[in-house]
Amino acid sequence: MASWKKGDPSPPRPPAPSRGTTPPALISVSHLSRRYGSQLAVDDVSFEIGKGEVVGFLGPNGAGKSTTLRILAGFLGPSSGTVRIAGHDVLDDSFEARRAVGYMPETAPLYPEMRVVEFLRFRAELKRVARRDRVAWVDDAMGKAGVLDVASKRIAHLSKGYRQRVGLADAIVARPPIVILDEPTAGLDPNQIREARAVVRELGRDHTVVLSTHILSEVEACATRVLLLHQGKLLAEGPTETIRSMRAATSIELVLRGDARAAEKALRAVEGVAKVAAISSRPGSGEAGDLPSGATSAKDELTRLRATFAKKLPEGERGAATEKCVAALIAAGAGVREVRGGGGSLEDVFASLTHEDDAAEGAKETGEADA
Amino acid sequence: MKAFWPIYKRELFAFFVTPLAWVLIVVFLIVQGMHFFLLVDHFASQADATGDETPLSAFFGNTVLLYLVLFVLVPPMTMRIFAEERRSGTIEMLMTAPVSSAAVVLAKYAAVLTTYVAMWVPTVLYLVILGRTGDLDWHSAASAYLGVLLVGAGYLSLGLCASALTRSQFLAMVWTALVLLMLFILGVGEFVTREGSAMHEVCAHVSVWAHMNDFASGIVDSRHLVFYGTLVVLPLFIATRAVEAWRWG
Repeated sequence: MASWKKGDPSPPRPPAPSRGTTPPALISVSHLSRRYGSQLAVDDVSFEIGKGEVVGFLGPNGAGKSTTLRILAGFLGPSSGTVRIAGHDVLDDSFEARRAVGYMPETAPLYPEMRVVEFLRFRAELKRVARRDRVAWVDDAMGKAGVLDVASKRIAHLSKGYRQRVGLADAIVARPPIVILDEPTAGLDPNQIREARAVVRELGRDHTVVLSTHILSEVEACATRVLLLHQGKLLAEGPTETIRSMRAATSIELVLRGDARAAEKALRAVEGVAKVAAISSRPGSGEAGDLPSGATSAKDELTRLRATFAKKLPEGERGAATEKCVAALIAAGAGVREVRGGGGSLEDVFASLTHEDDAAEGAKETGEADA
Repeated sequence: MKAFWPIYKRELFAFFVTPLAWVLIVVFLIVQGMHFFLLVDHFASQADATGDETPLSAFFGNTVLLYLVLFVLVPPMTMRIFAEERRSGTIEMLMTAPVSSAAVVLAKYAAVLTTYVAMWVPTVLYLVILGRTGDLDWHSAASAYLGVLLVGAGYLSLGLCASALTRSQFLAMVWTALVLLMLFILGVGEFVTREGSAMHEVCAHVSVWAHMNDFASGIVDSRHLVFYGTLVVLPLFIATRAVEAWRWG
């Protein structure tokens, strides 16, 4: 497994089409670019996905996730670069490439006038499931996706969650080696999201799964490997554990009572703390306000501070550093009202990867995007 | 081409499951029924008429009703074929299945053509009635239906092409109606341009009106066949290319 690494302008790993000792990757993408007019949606992206992996494409909206998945699924063509699916080029051998893929587009568009079972049988026939297998395979897919109870309902009458599941059943009905899911949990409620994630994990046993999301915790819940896309570029890739560790607090937020200046000074002295800054609370939240200027004597004034850990501080020692911070504050005579791990949101991960550490500072409250 | 059958079946299903289809068919049959009634009434009141006009030739040829009906029918029949799938996004699902663009276009076209034929089938009853009460030239009848089939096939092909070229059903409908209207007006030009001029030749060649008159009198002209063959194949070809082009759009 490749270790977590930052993408550089040159391709991180040019996929080797040679048939050496390693089996060819199921999906192999090399120098893929895609333009819409003058806009570059995907910019020189290269990666490989092997059999049995569950790979998550992670990135903010507009990062090029959907475009990449659509190219893998054969709906869009690459502007340049090559894409091979199960050994078939998506341009030269589009037919075989598409046969190897079950694809669920974002929002899972379906024919509303059809009944679920009719629709899936139509899709199975379209995907060339042999006539004698069709009924059994459709039933099987409905079972896996959890839509057996609505099999004879019209799709128009289904809830959003069920429609998404029908889309999922469609993706797996022809038993393709690769299943591609574009934002499989978009627009679902928390319960449905939990169910959808369970289904995706289940799919990972029989299929190679590629999914996209802009929610960090989603890839953590489902994927074994993560590809980070940002502005059309592959920023980084690596196993999910790495991103989990990147999510570990990069800073702590403290609410203190007492002398803010002294507290700041005490925090700065703690080993491993790189930066200390006062932050304002959300307006109208009723919590402590801005750091009052010259509030050296106001004993009961509440202050909110953020202590950012040094980059080189190993993740395992951050807990210890947090303890030291609190101890130092108490020693300095400050009353610690609240301690909270900060950082670890998608923006923070991106910021640390793009070295725009300061971009993540101050401008926003941390840890909310997917807390 | 294995994708042809499932798509063809689904298209037919989708068409007949919507109320629009039944409304169109009912309107069509009411108009044709009244047309037939008036014609028969007209010919019955002129028992001594000796002209070469028969109820049959008048039903299919020399009548504006045929075209009016086609104007009203064809654009709504074809407008949704591709535009609806692109608007709702189902096209993404359709085209990521192992299907060829040609199979998709041909299956959808065959389905709408089947619907069109199904609309005309009940009118055969009129001919049966005519045949029972008097002489009927079944050869002319066959050629008249061939004409109806060809004109419809050409119009539907144009409509399908328009639907592939725009995302909006409404625009697809407007474009189809406009093109059909232009084709018709160009055909009427046969009667207003000077005989022998190049324009006259062109107009005569594309005059659906004149074609139908020929077909209704039992004349099957190979030039007409070529014209309608072109009218079917060319838009279908363009539509296929348009479907392929979406991948790059």
